[in-house]
Amino acid sequence: MQLNYAALTYPVVTVHQMTTLDTQTAQRLHSLGIQPGSQLTVVRKYPFHGPVIITVDQQKIGIRYAIFQALLGGQ
Amino acid sequence: MPTVALLGNPNTGKTTLFNELTDTYAYVENWDGVTVEKKLGRIKHSEIVVVDLPGIYSLNPLTKDEAVAVNYLLNDVPDLILNVTNASQLKRNLLLSLEVLEFGQPVVLALNMIDDLTRSGIRYDLDVLADRLGCQVRATNARKKTGLAQLKTELLAEQRQPAAPLVLPYPRPVSDAVQTAVTALVADFELTPQFARWLAIQYMNKNQTVRRHVADCGLTPLTENQVSYDRQHFDDQIFNTRLTFIERTITEATQYLNTSHDANLTAKLDRWITHPILGLPVFVGIFYLMFKLSFDWVGTPLSNALDALLSGPVSTTAANLLTSIGTLPFLKSLIVNGIIAGVGGVLTFMPQIFVLFACISVLEDSGYMARAALVTDRIMQVIGLNGKAFIPLIIGFGCNVTGIFSARTIEQPKERLVTTLISPFMSCSARLPIYSLFVTAFFPHNQAVIVLSLYFLGIIIALVMAKLYQWLFRIKESSVFIVELPKYHLPRLDIIAMGTWDKGKGFVKKAGTIIFAGTVLIWLLSNLGPTGIVTNINQSFAAMVGQVMLPVFKPMGITAWQPISALLTGVLAKEVISSSMIVMFHLAGQTSLIATFGGLFTPLSAYCILVFILIYAPCFATLAAIKSETGSLKWAAYSLVSNTLIAYVIAVGIYQLGALFI
Repeated sequence: MQLNYAALTYPVVTVHQMTTLDTQTAQRLHSLGIQPGSQLTVVRKYPFHGPVIITVDQQKIGIRYAIFQALLGGQ
Repeated sequence: MPTVALLGNPNTGKTTLFNELTDTYAYVENWDGVTVEKKLGRIKHSEIVVVDLPGIYSLNPLTKDEAVAVNYLLNDVPDLILNVTNASQLKRNLLLSLEVLEFGQPVVLALNMIDDLTRSGIRYDLDVLADRLGCQVRATNARKKTGLAQLKTELLAEQRQPAAPLVLPYPRPVSDAVQTAVTALVADFELTPQFARWLAIQYMNKNQTVRRHVADCGLTPLTENQVSYDRQHFDDQIFNTRLTFIERTITEATQYLNTSHDANLTAKLDRWITHPILGLPVFVGIFYLMFKLSFDWVGTPLSNALDALLSGPVSTTAANLLTSIGTLPFLKSLIVNGIIAGVGGVLTFMPQIFVLFACISVLEDSGYMARAALVTDRIMQVIGLNGKAFIPLIIGFGCNVTGIFSARTIEQPKERLVTTLISPFMSCSARLPIYSLFVTAFFPHNQAVIVLSLYFLGIIIALVMAKLYQWLFRIKESSVFIVELPKYHLPRLDIIAMGTWDKGKGFVKKAGTIIFAGTVLIWLLSNLGPTGIVTNINQSFAAMVGQVMLPVFKPMGITAWQPISALLTGVLAKEVISSSMIVMFHLAGQTSLIATFGGLFTPLSAYCILVFILIYAPCFATLAAIKSETGSLKWAAYSLVSNTLIAYVIAVGIYQLGALFI
């Protein structure tokens, strides 16, 4: 199921881990259906390590850069 | 009376659906946290009551909003739960649905915004969904009013199959533990097996509100095993089971359509609106446009016309009428110079306020507010808040009280407290009448710019204070900031009209109550003195109070007692300041007041008094909101004192500095 507004040109990343997140953030991401293995399409990154817009399961979500990095396993 | 509880994720069109189903309306906004309290409505032509609960992501509450919904389920048992979902985001919506289905009351699942799903080339087999989930499923589009008749029939159905709670195949350790707990709870605490089961699963899933409830009730079968549950990570096992179940169900129900035609308006708009660099200028531009509309293009001309009508024909006619029926001069003066001039003077600002409210409603309904939170997040991070705090502040431009209530979507209690405390610095619409009065008198050519400068000064003070609080309260950098960006909607005229009226009716009502009372009070104070009725206002009570305070206000350029007495009445409601001034200067409406001002203020001192009015003590309604949201009178008292002090220091500072140059 490909997102309509996420053209194939956007980079797609995979969630590696969620254990290093604080409980509240992990819980909220869980209730949005995000878990290790979820494919995130990175639509936009804001400068100065500002928020990152991702799309997953037909929904568009803004998260903070630090959380985004943590999801990727801190790379 | 049968009760239907309306439950669902944010951004599912829940409130629109509520409005379509019920006679009375609630408030519609495309931003989570709009439904700040549960709202009641009655289904048209029936006895059924619908409870509109705040939009929630899960029954385990992170925000105050979500706690409202969970507490409702813990304390009331609705006859039916209408679970509204966004059809295009069914996977994550069902995570909440499963929790609701486990609760065991009959559930009707509405797949709302079904058009968006069809457009993306997908269709769900409703029978498969209904079979797997064990509840009725209906497809709707509340915004276009499709599928509503069927949904209503479903809700009104007299005969309903007895509901069986959904039983998910949890792994052995979890299901065994649930079974043990349920047996004990039913035997020793007389809970129904159905409720006990739901409670046990929620408890194991670390639902904080449920855990508190269970602890309060002393339900030992659960509390004694808490450590064991958590050690085995029952919450993760529960989550994984649910997600697997949902993915399987959706796969089974999905049917692909051949046609897929997506206009993709959202993506096109977002290319500009959430642009990394242009996002902020777009944000500023939108607000500039909003102020131009309210103060230059639409609002002000209408206000002027209304003023001409009220201070001209209406006032004269009333005066003549009262003279002809032989009214006492004292009473005639009260009505004409007090009530008509004072209350009318405030009412003339209605057009400006309504235009501003309409603009805010458009932004809310279109889905822009979530984008505003996103583009401002990086800046808000600097002061220890997140972009979500920006929305309450923007709503605060309309009214600080609603702003403070909408801070409930913020997850961390400390951040919520800071947002509540800085909200009163947002220049609410009630302060507009007095700005307009001074701006027309002293800055006729730069009205929008001067008013905008006040708004920005308010924002700057709010940001500085937030930074200070961040340091005082030791708020850590990391905070939950996850914001959903809903699809854009073309704003619907009736929703905008409803939202505008909902926000604005408070103003009209205030004109009839507190502003009216304040005006009469100040008229009495300025016409009565220690010796009874006074002919010279300088001997009145109002003058005495003002005179005593005058030395304190001299350093910021105030040389007459009248503005000071007016400022004191502003704590009742900010609109009262202008009506008080009109009454105390004994004039018939704003036009003549503007002329009198010329001799009393310089442009500099006029600006200083506006700055003071912007910042000083919040009105009673706001103080009450601060008290109820922080749960303590102390914070309300603190706001009253600290804001007044800050206002004084800044206003005196500007005057003294300005006096050096001008």
